[in-house]
Amino acid sequence: MKPIAVQSEESVVITHEDIDRAHDRVRVFAARSQRGFSSRARLLWLLVGPGVLVMLGENDGPSMLSYAATGAKYGIGFFLPFVVLTFCMACVVQEMTVRVGAATHRGHAELIFERFGPFWGWFSLIDLGIGNFLTLITEFIAIRAGMGFFGVPAWLAILIALTIVYAALITHRYWTWERITLAAAAFNLVFVPVALMTHPDWRAVGHALFFWQPRPELSGETVLIMLADIGATVTPWMLFFQQSATVDKGLTTRDIQFGRIDTVLGAALASIAALATILATAPLAAHKMSAENFQAAQFAQALEPLIGRVGASLFALGIVEAGIVAAITISTSSAYAFGEVAHKPHSLNLPMREGKSFYAVLTLCALAAAVVVLIPGLPLVYVVLLVNVVAVLAMPPALVFLYMLVNDKEIMGDLVSPLWANVLSTAVVIALTAAGVLFGISVIAPNVFSVLGGK
Amino acid sequence: MSKRKEETPDLLKDQSWVLSSLEHDQLAKAKKHFIPRRRLKGRELVVLWGLRVYLIFMMAVVVYQVWVASR
Repeated sequence: MKPIAVQSEESVVITHEDIDRAHDRVRVFAARSQRGFSSRARLLWLLVGPGVLVMLGENDGPSMLSYAATGAKYGIGFFLPFVVLTFCMACVVQEMTVRVGAATHRGHAELIFERFGPFWGWFSLIDLGIGNFLTLITEFIAIRAGMGFFGVPAWLAILIALTIVYAALITHRYWTWERITLAAAAFNLVFVPVALMTHPDWRAVGHALFFWQPRPELSGETVLIMLADIGATVTPWMLFFQQSATVDKGLTTRDIQFGRIDTVLGAALASIAALATILATAPLAAHKMSAENFQAAQFAQALEPLIGRVGASLFALGIVEAGIVAAITISTSSAYAFGEVAHKPHSLNLPMREGKSFYAVLTLCALAAAVVVLIPGLPLVYVVLLVNVVAVLAMPPALVFLYMLVNDKEIMGDLVSPLWANVLSTAVVIALTAAGVLFGISVIAPNVFSVLGGK
Repeated sequence: MSKRKEETPDLLKDQSWVLSSLEHDQLAKAKKHFIPRRRLKGRELVVLWGLRVYLIFMMAVVVYQVWVASR
């Protein structure tokens, strides 16, 4: 369908995308015009989406495997509050994308290109492209491994995943896509019943959450796990995705408060799923089982004697779900960024004929990553952990662009960050850079940790 | 021609409710307008270049770690 060209005094061209978005906004206006709890609840229902999706989307295959490896290696202890802290960091960062998206109605890649020029824009886009492609590969690794627990052959697992990714798109409507993906993302909480099946020691959980104990010894492996867990909650694609999704959903400055609630709600749900995964695999540490080279299916197999076939199956299904939801959101973030930079139509409200390039990029990203996974002999768990590390390393440069955008008075007006938000976001940049430096030291000079009293 | 005449009022009606529901910047057409470029200050450039060097160096570290692990 071609854009509906309506010539009027102002010569405005209205597209299919505009009409779909206007439909969504009319429902928001209707809910906002009414008073009472039910209309507020309806407004929340209409406006949540990007925040919950980005947080549960980031609880992806490699993230859940990182949490599983954390639980299996260190049990209940330091890493429980550490993971909660990383989600607090994610909230600080993602809230800024909501404000920038609602204030400018532009995607993240588009703003970097236009405000800072193509030189920095390309750097940023290349970081995103490489990171997204590597992460997508690991999503399909997780899907393959999770379905492998049920005896599904690798090619069939990949085919099923690709079909689901494509099926989410065929409505060509942002709202429907968002609701389908949210429903799939809610399945991330399947790790909660799995954790309950392991009968965790709640006193130990409470002690760990409040006192950060027992603490692990500082070693190269601990640093790698720390970075993998940070990379499991804050990554560059999340910035690009949530800002673009905020724009595509049509949120305005009046909706920012709900955007914040959406983000915090997403972080809360995702941290519950993350903590549950650590608790679920913690018995493996207590039983002195090694987590070296564990893959998704092997985690489920190792848990089977402890929680039975049903529990192990739920664990494997959770890994599959995590991979599928992330494959949907990450490939969408790549397609948004491409469309924004190439000035091609980029919206999930686009019919196929109007958004050929958008849907083609989205599909090709997923397809290319899926094909790579079918190559035999890939070192799966190592790749998975390193992808999260790469995400942490790429985060400070991405965050500095966001910091500069959110403090740019010309585009943000009165919505620039207050001092406390700038202090928090600067602290996040410093913490991520320090974590990266620590990782570098652990690789280049691993003996430093033994000098410092570690292992 | 007569069909075109019949369609026009509906489209104009469409236009009015769409325009009243969306902010001007939200229209797909509005996104074709460029946002003016911002001149980066010296301190900002130092931070951006510093982080770029950091990222390239750390990626080399990752590649080194993969190489060591694969041996």
